Amino acid sequence: MSNHADALFADKQIGFFIYLMVEGVMFGTLFATYFVFTPAATGPAPGEVYDTQSVILASACLLTSSGTLMIAEKGLANHNWRRIWTGLGVTFLLGTAFLVIEVQEFYFYVQDGYTLTSSNFLSAFFVLVGLHASHVLFGLLWMVVLACQSFRSLPYQLFKEKHKIFIYYWHFVDLIWILILVLVYAPFLW
Amino acid sequence: MMTFNLLDEVLYMPSDVIAAWVLALLLGPAVLVWITRQRKWPVLWEYARTTNHRKVGTMYLLFGLLFFLRAGTDALIMRTQLAVPQNDFWVFQGEKYNEVFSTHGTMMIFFAAMPLLIGLMNIAVPLQIGARDLAFPFLNAVSFWLFLAGGLLFNLAFFLDSSPNAGWTAYTPLSTDTYTQTAGNDYYVFALQISGLGTTLTAVNMIVTILRHRAPGMSLTRMPLFAWATLITSFLILIAFPVLTIALFLLMFDRLFDTSFFSGEMGSPVYWQHLFWIFGHPEVYILALPAFGIFSDIISTFSRKKVFGYMAMVISLCLIGFLGFMVWAHHMFTVGLGPMANTFFAITTMLIAVPTGIKVFNWLFTMRNGIVRFTVPMLFAIAFIPTFVMGGVTGVMLSVAAADMQFHDTHFVVAHFHYTIIGSTILGIFAGIYYWYPKITGKILNRRLGLWHAGLFVTGFHLTFFIMHITGLNGMPRRTYTYEWGENLLAFNLISTIGAFMMGAGVLFFAWNIYTTHKSGEKASADPWQGRSLEWTVASPSPEHPFEKVPIVDQRDAFWYAKQSGRKLQVEKDPRPAPIAVYTIQPALMSMILLVMSIGLIYNWWLLALICGGFLLLMFLWRTWKDERRSLYEREEPDE
Repeated sequence: MSNHADALFADKQIGFFIYLMVEGVMFGTLFATYFVFTPAATGPAPGEVYDTQSVILASACLLTSSGTLMIAEKGLANHNWRRIWTGLGVTFLLGTAFLVIEVQEFYFYVQDGYTLTSSNFLSAFFVLVGLHASHVLFGLLWMVVLACQSFRSLPYQLFKEKHKIFIYYWHFVDLIWILILVLVYAPFLW
Repeated sequence: MMTFNLLDEVLYMPSDVIAAWVLALLLGPAVLVWITRQRKWPVLWEYARTTNHRKVGTMYLLFGLLFFLRAGTDALIMRTQLAVPQNDFWVFQGEKYNEVFSTHGTMMIFFAAMPLLIGLMNIAVPLQIGARDLAFPFLNAVSFWLFLAGGLLFNLAFFLDSSPNAGWTAYTPLSTDTYTQTAGNDYYVFALQISGLGTTLTAVNMIVTILRHRAPGMSLTRMPLFAWATLITSFLILIAFPVLTIALFLLMFDRLFDTSFFSGEMGSPVYWQHLFWIFGHPEVYILALPAFGIFSDIISTFSRKKVFGYMAMVISLCLIGFLGFMVWAHHMFTVGLGPMANTFFAITTMLIAVPTGIKVFNWLFTMRNGIVRFTVPMLFAIAFIPTFVMGGVTGVMLSVAAADMQFHDTHFVVAHFHYTIIGSTILGIFAGIYYWYPKITGKILNRRLGLWHAGLFVTGFHLTFFIMHITGLNGMPRRTYTYEWGENLLAFNLISTIGAFMMGAGVLFFAWNIYTTHKSGEKASADPWQGRSLEWTVASPSPEHPFEKVPIVDQRDAFWYAKQSGRKLQVEKDPRPAPIAVYTIQPALMSMILLVMSIGLIYNWWLLALICGGFLLLMFLWRTWKDERRSLYEREEPDE
């Protein structure tokens, strides 16, 4: 489109990617913390704690949600509001399902006596996975705001940019989940 | 110490805190009355809402200097306590002394050195590369207000008699709630967390600005070295600060939510040290590299020569930044990581001397055969070189792991890092302020007072800290509030104290200089120093919208060579769009909400914290709803 908007958006894109890199370093440090304290010398072993079923279910939801967001992305390119709303809506539902499953998973762990303070392995686990979950929650709120924005008479280019930045965020959160799956759960579940 | 009875609760207040309250209650209203009398409220309101890089930079400098004075006062208190053996100065013994040195270190690093450097970056970098503002002006204001919120929170701790007391490194397990129950180290955690976020956002801003907002023809290798140093420093911040964020995050969990990452049977105190120094060592270069950049520009300008070995300077900056991440464990030689680890970190540490040495020689060669003008910034630069070299030499001494067992935690180490950090960062900041003062205020700082400032400060500095090498080698431990008669330390410590007060006097001359220059300083032209880079092409002080016409750069120091050949720089007709300037109170509000939220978390007032969190989300909503790009896009998109 216009020269002015494109230049400003390119600034924003780079800025946001750099910010995601910062987040990456933060998560990296938390992964390191998890490895330092897992498995703990005393207390429950990770294999005893983790619940395979809910991990698989949660992963299925979140990983699909990155795919459904692409529907919205496609709609965004074609200026197709139906697609945008469908993509956003389905992604929102999947994200919510993920969050519900995860909260439930945490709840069961706590019920079984595996709390934040039971062992350092669990502390590291809860802080890492909990921070990821709060990112998902923030993403859900973001989607609500985006949906509200879509009903305003914003210039389309502006809405598109806002939506795109969210897409980067959501894929990033998904990527972190894949790392959690591979590095946190997988070694102790299978 | 005084005791109060308040609502059946007994309150103890040390007399230094009472004195501070009295002073604040007297000065505060006086300042308010003065502002009203002078009709300065509109100006304050304007600055509170500005996103202009020069104004934000000016606020960084002002508050950085304010916190510098406060942390400097702490230093004088320490030196007074240590002036003679078995001294009993006021209340500053034992626990109080711990608070003073913890506050001094933390404030100097995070709330004085960092904001002062970032302030200079804000002011100079966009002008040097021909940008019309930072890439994200709103974000820049957010960064500043986050820094200020962190600084205010940290100072609040003192007024509530709960200053942090575990050193600026907050080593665990001492800093966990098992050993320091009072709120002091919570203040440390949250103040650093908030201001650290601001620093990280600044780094993002600087990188995008430098990568995308350079004037046409200004390739990366034509940038002034201060811009280069800012770029490398920003990358260091991006990697180092998130690690600190997580370290503080985990410490917060230990202190507030009963985890035991860093203490107890399961915890690992050494893990904190690793995290802290993975941040902390790059932080040292985050402080030093911008100063290197400032000196490179100043030395070149006042020697009337281009920088000697420009590419070598750039590569050295990169190498120092890169190696800076591989040396953190040299702070931990005495932990017992084993001979392999110690050897590795000793060698990487020694390696850093190579690129640094290259830079030192290049500065000297820049001056060689130059027409050197001994202006105040240049004098600071000349004082910097030998000072920093001495700090470097002791650095190499400390990097010898076996010898470090003896040096560790003595005044020798204190001498070393003050030679490097004051030698580079603080002298660099002073030099930078004198150098760019015309761009900030449109006036030139008085040279005679500047000479007093430089002379007293540098002489006092060497008196204070050179001596500490000797007391350190004699075994005087750091962070200890007294020593015995008959240990042969009296004369040395007394000289050290006298030197510290000379530095203080120097800083007073600086403050006086700023005051008189403000009252009756001489107006500066656009190019008062016969400068070489683009900031000297715009008016002094730099206008809100500099570079109405963006110059085209055809070589390094293009402005200088254009002047030499009596031509003007060509102007780009169709430059890239400028960032959008806005006036908004949102950044200030956001930061103050975060400040209150932190207080809620510190004292476990969860409801307050929760409400503040809600307000913060609402602020995000406000921000995205009232997007300043909207009107611009509507103009460009008339048919939709």
